[in-house]
Amino acid sequence: MSIIEGPGPVADTLAGASAHGIGASVPPADALAKTRGTYPYAADLWAEGLLWAAVLRSPHPSARIVRIDTADARAMPGVRAVITHEDVPGDAMHGRGVADRPVFAQDVVRHHGEPIAAVAADHPDTARLAAAAILVEYEVLDPVTDPEKAFAAEPLHPDGNLIRHIPLSFGDPEAVGEVVVEGLYRVGRQDPAPIGAEAGLAVPRPDGGVELYIASTDPHADRDIAAACFGLEADRVKVVVTGVPGATGDREDSGVQLPLGLLALKTGCPVKFVATREESFLGHAHRHPTLLRYRHHADAEGRLVKVEAQILLDAGAYADASSSALAAAVAFAAGPYVVPHVFVEGWAVRTNNPPSGHVRGEGAMQVCAAYEGQMDKLAAKLGLEPAEVRMRNVLATGDLLPTGQTVTCPAPVGELLKAVRDADLPPLPDGEDESQWLLPGGTSGAGEPGAVRRGVGYALGMVHVLGAEGTDEVSTATVRIHDGRATVICAAVETGQGFTTLARQVVQEVLGVEDVRVLPADTDQPPAGPAARGRHTWVSAGAVERAAKMVRTQLLQPLAAKFGMSVELLSIADGKITSYDGVLSTTVAETLDGKELWATAQCRPHPTDRLDENGQGDAFVGLAFCAIRAVVDVDIELGSVRAVELAVAQDVGRVLNPRQLAARIEAGVTQGLGMALMEDLRAPGGVVKRPNFTGYPLPTALDAPDVRIVKLVEERDVVAPFGAKAVSAVPVVTAPAAVAAAVRAATGRPVNRLPIRPQAAIVKPQV
Amino acid sequence: MSTYAGQAAEHVTLPSSLDEAVEALAAMPSAVPVAGGTDLMAAVNSGLLRPAALVGLGRISEIRGWQYADGAALLGAGLTHARMGRPDFAALIPALAAAARSAGPPQIRNAGTLGGNIATAAPTGDALPVLAALEASVILAGPEGDRELPVSHLLTGMDPLRPGELLAFVRIPLLHAPQTFLKATGRTGPGRAVASVALVVDPARRQVRCSVGAVAPVPLRPLEAEQWVAGLIDWDGERSLAPEACTAFGEYVAAACIPDQPGVELPPAAVQLRRTVAALSRRALGRALA
Ligand SMILES: Cc1cc2nc3c(=O)[nH]c(=O)nc-3n(C[C@H](O)[C@H](O)[C@H](O)COP(=O)(O)OP(=O)(O)OC[C@H]3O[C@@H](n4cnc5c(N)ncnc54)[C@H](O)[C@@H]3O)c2cc1C
Repeated sequence: MSIIEGPGPVADTLAGASAHGIGASVPPADALAKTRGTYPYAADLWAEGLLWAAVLRSPHPSARIVRIDTADARAMPGVRAVITHEDVPGDAMHGRGVADRPVFAQDVVRHHGEPIAAVAADHPDTARLAAAAILVEYEVLDPVTDPEKAFAAEPLHPDGNLIRHIPLSFGDPEAVGEVVVEGLYRVGRQDPAPIGAEAGLAVPRPDGGVELYIASTDPHADRDIAAACFGLEADRVKVVVTGVPGATGDREDSGVQLPLGLLALKTGCPVKFVATREESFLGHAHRHPTLLRYRHHADAEGRLVKVEAQILLDAGAYADASSSALAAAVAFAAGPYVVPHVFVEGWAVRTNNPPSGHVRGEGAMQVCAAYEGQMDKLAAKLGLEPAEVRMRNVLATGDLLPTGQTVTCPAPVGELLKAVRDADLPPLPDGEDESQWLLPGGTSGAGEPGAVRRGVGYALGMVHVLGAEGTDEVSTATVRIHDGRATVICAAVETGQGFTTLARQVVQEVLGVEDVRVLPADTDQPPAGPAARGRHTWVSAGAVERAAKMVRTQLLQPLAAKFGMSVELLSIADGKITSYDGVLSTTVAETLDGKELWATAQCRPHPTDRLDENGQGDAFVGLAFCAIRAVVDVDIELGSVRAVELAVAQDVGRVLNPRQLAARIEAGVTQGLGMALMEDLRAPGGVVKRPNFTGYPLPTALDAPDVRIVKLVEERDVVAPFGAKAVSAVPVVTAPAAVAAAVRAATGRPVNRLPIRPQAAIVKPQV
Repeated sequence: MSTYAGQAAEHVTLPSSLDEAVEALAAMPSAVPVAGGTDLMAAVNSGLLRPAALVGLGRISEIRGWQYADGAALLGAGLTHARMGRPDFAALIPALAAAARSAGPPQIRNAGTLGGNIATAAPTGDALPVLAALEASVILAGPEGDRELPVSHLLTGMDPLRPGELLAFVRIPLLHAPQTFLKATGRTGPGRAVASVALVVDPARRQVRCSVGAVAPVPLRPLEAEQWVAGLIDWDGERSLAPEACTAFGEYVAAACIPDQPGVELPPAAVQLRRTVAALSRRALGRALA
């Protein structure tokens, strides 16, 4: 679906310049197995004599637990164990960052779907029936579901309802502009909706430990949480990463991994769990629903003077990734624009709504929808083109973020905007037969050409790359070469994002061997950290490169010494080693002479600071930018929207794998489109409604627009390995705002809520 | 993914004729018929249903096609949506073909059947408003022989399927006049109807029949609006209508299907739905009389 245009390395490599190494479109090694259905995912795992787990979850968003009676469940034939909070030998609480979430609810339940007990039985139906037979007496409480009311509400957690507050102040609060626009924006609850079932297998070990076979995206963190919960030393728990069927956030709900391990330890048998889609929707973290109030001041030429914002993230009942989501929301509240005065109040609060956490571009996406809405308002007020107002304010390298941090990395925002603005517009539907036009509503939908309006909208987005605010970002990798074949050992998880392909390319590039394997990840390997925020492109691929270079030196040093030249004068390609002058020519295999060479290396970028009490600090290692121009068709009577084309220009540092990069951008844009037009997990009164893919539709190929990559700006980021930037998150962040801007242009309606509901895109007939 | 062996039914029968199927059901009263499985297996996978035995209808060739009988078409209950969507079928019953083309993604339409759509009787069943507008009848095969009844009697539960009965055929009058089916889903890709409108012109009976799907548990027929608009049409002439009449018809249909509640203001969602139904009905009539 994507079209890559123009001259440059992208087009060249697609034309097949080289088949391996950095810059080549190396295909993923597992593509064939995945296509054929032979790739083993967690749901396919099996162990001799395994038991099946089921989890009992709260039907209420807020209640006191008066009594739990497991006697009936235990008495059922085939049931091998029933566990509750009483059966947690280690830490009763867990959580990423803050341990504020109980493994099993004890006195109170704080959200619909919170785990209360778990069962292991010899048949999955028995396990589910037994879970249903557990008697829980609740005293139902009024849930806190309006985040604005969380401040004054009774604390729903001992840690209080305010998870974090960041007041950012930058510049002069008294500054005023000649024009002022205000807006109120809402962003709904997007589910990461990993397509493969959430599943896992726990196998007890003879030494009293346990192995967890799960689709973890952060195996070491999951192991540590599990070990603490099980009351075991970390080395007694091993997490083995199984095939990950897609992940755009923290994939697995730890509410499942922990009971699984506890049940395996209790019964001494392997225990398997496969979540239903409903459980998946209830259990894992969602994108933070957000409420945003904005006031933009600008001068008469449309140059921004001051941005004031209030941002309220609904964290659900537990902290999870809310603190870092809030930091991103506050820091990027004004977007990739130069603003001399910025004042933001950001809060993340607890509610009894479904849990929020890490989903690609958290924090940054919500504010993008709002600040870009403001830019459109400003343009309308000043009578300027929306792209022009943006152009007058774009950020560049050397400018300051509202956090006081100087942008030191490439920030080609103006160039990106120009690229999408100047790109040709897609044609209008044509052809004699109107019934064949693809209109809003689909091929056989109700669309009527006379009621369709086309709109064009722009958005600029930014995200940070790597964890922020002092997170120790480090990864370790090992490279081995033997018999002319290289192996990479790194616990960075391949989630479908392409890390293993990239690792192979890096080794191919450095060692000149084509045959590179990447071993599956587990916690016996050194930690590589979470698969999030483009980390593995930076730290893990960086570690692989260093390790490969060390191997290269070990390989070439003896040769260089023998021939009296420096290692730098030797090159390796296609398994052959040659000297610059062509005098020396041998092969890698010959040089190795049956030996194995190993090296292990780490990559750890420069440290960052936590935002201080004024929201100031050098919190980010790197930034990535994107410009999107959306073209939509809107049926202004039915309010149905079809995204016709999204033209993308992105700041990528360097193209490492053109095809993979295009796929990442397409995927990101499509996820953003879901947020823009259809995805919102509804939970009125805290109770999740229709937790299935009929009630929560995802974009399909027919919903997805043409994703047209009009420009990839390759300005290398000198501090990043290969100069490359992470590419997946920023299109997710930017696409929803661009679609909203286009619907605004088509309808003249304010469009201040995501996803855009049909009623917001209807133009009422003038009477 | 969650269809593990333990959930599959113990007994599966695959009869090759209707009679055999009826016998199989009679022999195993706990057995459930399955056609394409697109509704049934979803219920099994989510744990809502654990059929003890299945009678598969996929091999009964007599219900997988259609035949003609006295100015009507006799459609087999095993016709798939994909088959009904093809041009030859569309030439016969355009509105049903349009509904079939919109009934889910291609994988589902290749398997899902007309009979399954009727038996499931979901509010969003796309064939249902079309059958209601066409005043179709269903022929049921059972242990006591066949019987025929209006599809609306089946859908409303007035005269439900009896134990051991199978949907065998659907009788549809051939009208040789324009008919339309329009569906609003709120998205561009395949989706369930938010509202749908089937509208058929019946020149022989000088009727316009319209049925609105997805807004109520069963398809609704706005009879007064139908009669009103039929009265405006010059049946011996061009059969065209002024745009204002189409608009008024749309409003009429929408108000009939989503009525005002005395003393209370219509909630925003209902207002939006009414607007959608009005636009769909207006467009449907406009296209039928174009
Ligand atoms: C992803 C997806 C999208 C969908 N989208 C749509 C859509 O847009 N529009 C729509 O209308 N539907 C949609 N459906 C629902 C479904 O595909 C249709 O209702 C289909 O027509 C069902 O037919 P089937 O043959 O698969 O029925 P089955 O699943 O085989 O059976 C359904 C029920 O009917 C009974 N049954 C089947 N045949 C007979 C018979 N001959 N006699 C008596 N009882 C019978 C079965 O016992 C069962 O109770 C969708 C389903 C899925 C999974």
